[in-house]
Amino acid sequence: MENSSRAVIDVDRLNISYGDFHAVKDLSFRVEQGELYALLGTNGAGKTSALEAVEGHRRVSSGTVRVFGEKPADRRAVRHRMGIMLQESGFSADLTVAESVRLIGRLSGRSDSVDRVLGTVDLNRKADVRVGQLSGGEKRRLDFATAVYGRPELIFLDEPTTGLDIQSRDALWAAVRELRGNGSTIVLTTHYLEEAQQYADRIGLMHRGTFRREGTVSELTRRLPAAIRFALSPTTTPVPPIGTRATDGRVYVAETFQLQADLKVLLDWAAAHDVELLDLSAAPTRLDDVFRSIESDPAPALNPTR
Amino acid sequence: MLPIAYSELAQIFRNRTVLISNLIMPLAISAFFIYRRDSFIALGSAGYIAAVLVFTIGAFSLYTTAVTTLAARRQDLFLKRLRSTTAGDATILSGLTLPVAGVALVQVMVVLGAFAAVTGRPADLALLVVGILSAFVMMLALAMATAGLTGSPEQAQVTTLPLSLTTIGVATWVGITGTEDLTVLKRLLPGGSATELIVNTWNGGVPPAQSLLLLGPILAWVVVAVVLALRLFRWEPRR
Repeated sequence: MENSSRAVIDVDRLNISYGDFHAVKDLSFRVEQGELYALLGTNGAGKTSALEAVEGHRRVSSGTVRVFGEKPADRRAVRHRMGIMLQESGFSADLTVAESVRLIGRLSGRSDSVDRVLGTVDLNRKADVRVGQLSGGEKRRLDFATAVYGRPELIFLDEPTTGLDIQSRDALWAAVRELRGNGSTIVLTTHYLEEAQQYADRIGLMHRGTFRREGTVSELTRRLPAAIRFALSPTTTPVPPIGTRATDGRVYVAETFQLQADLKVLLDWAAAHDVELLDLSAAPTRLDDVFRSIESDPAPALNPTR
Repeated sequence: MLPIAYSELAQIFRNRTVLISNLIMPLAISAFFIYRRDSFIALGSAGYIAAVLVFTIGAFSLYTTAVTTLAARRQDLFLKRLRSTTAGDATILSGLTLPVAGVALVQVMVVLGAFAAVTGRPADLALLVVGILSAFVMMLALAMATAGLTGSPEQAQVTTLPLSLTTIGVATWVGITGTEDLTVLKRLLPGGSATELIVNTWNGGVPPAQSLLLLGPILAWVVVAVVLALRLFRWEPRR
């Protein structure tokens, strides 16, 4: 095994089966200290099973999972160093917001101020309100508050912004930035790909139980071409140097791995022929495109960090 | 464990449904038995009433409330939340059930205290306490096993009925008819030995050593319940 001295999470050939169903297959990855690692996947890809195994909530069928060098199911050894934001609420409706944070905080093995933590997610005014009376978004914020109680070294954020309005999302990501500034490692799962694209240092893309892609956003997106789109007026006679005509006859699309160079060729051609490029757009490859490509991709599963 | 127990106690007293069906109702039934004690003593004995009171509270305040609590906390993913912390499984279960057991014990003390005040003290208080505690341990272990078969607090109203009615029925049967006939059957039924032990210690007249032997079947039920609980108990809802 490689040196994993800075690896906060080290997963090696993880397999999880439910009866005959193989949910996770030979999954290996590492998360380094201070990283924000996004675990993404198609529906039923196995990311929840994998994440729960790393959190210590699920038994593995084979393979090893280490968090801070320990088995994650060994709660006394690792839980005081990690905060977990579950995908679903997990709070008792009859406890107040402050009582819920205080309870989970006291059991976390870390110390912090309930007021400070609630202030992080703007829930101070709701401190004495019972959890059952909170909105869905407020429950997510409460969940986040308990996960970051005591500023843990490792934080799992499972769909953290689902149901949050834009201000709450911004506040949550600001809090995450502050935690990262203090050295916390973050593991994120989300369906909002733009958040992963914006905040993640590295991304693991799961499909059918294993990784199909893993790397930084630029490493993932550079495998797919960017797109240049433009239209020509019906009276234009010169043929453009790049792009193929779309079905309506006016719009051209050019897929390119050299966006800047090809765009320059197109603009030079337009200037030389005095042609107006209508509705011109040049879009870099987005994570969405990578995500869409993996389902149709026959490429074998990756095992990139081993 | 204490933070969990404290939060659980707060929840019990904030939830009107739990408060009425599992705490107030057993007290009301107990009050009825004490009020009509002469009729019931004529039917069996004072020890019989004591046993029925113990199992009424044991079945409703302890067993049913514990099953309902565990099912509700699992359904709310509160158990999973607690398992996300440093607390171990035994600590979590102890914390969740300690207030339920504590409230039930207080109820039994109050009810039997009131009953003793109007009918006279039990003959062997120390052994009576042992009998009540062993019966409650059995009911608590059975609650954990039953919680494994109970998907929601609503389902608990159904899944707890068989054992609740059985134990109260056995307490009534054994309390009224004694164990001179069908001895083995009555002692092996859930609550049978405990009922005999409570009747003996309340009425007196039976050597303590003979009564202590009745702890055997009670402990056997505890073992059975713990084994079932280990096999059946789930920490998360079925997906």
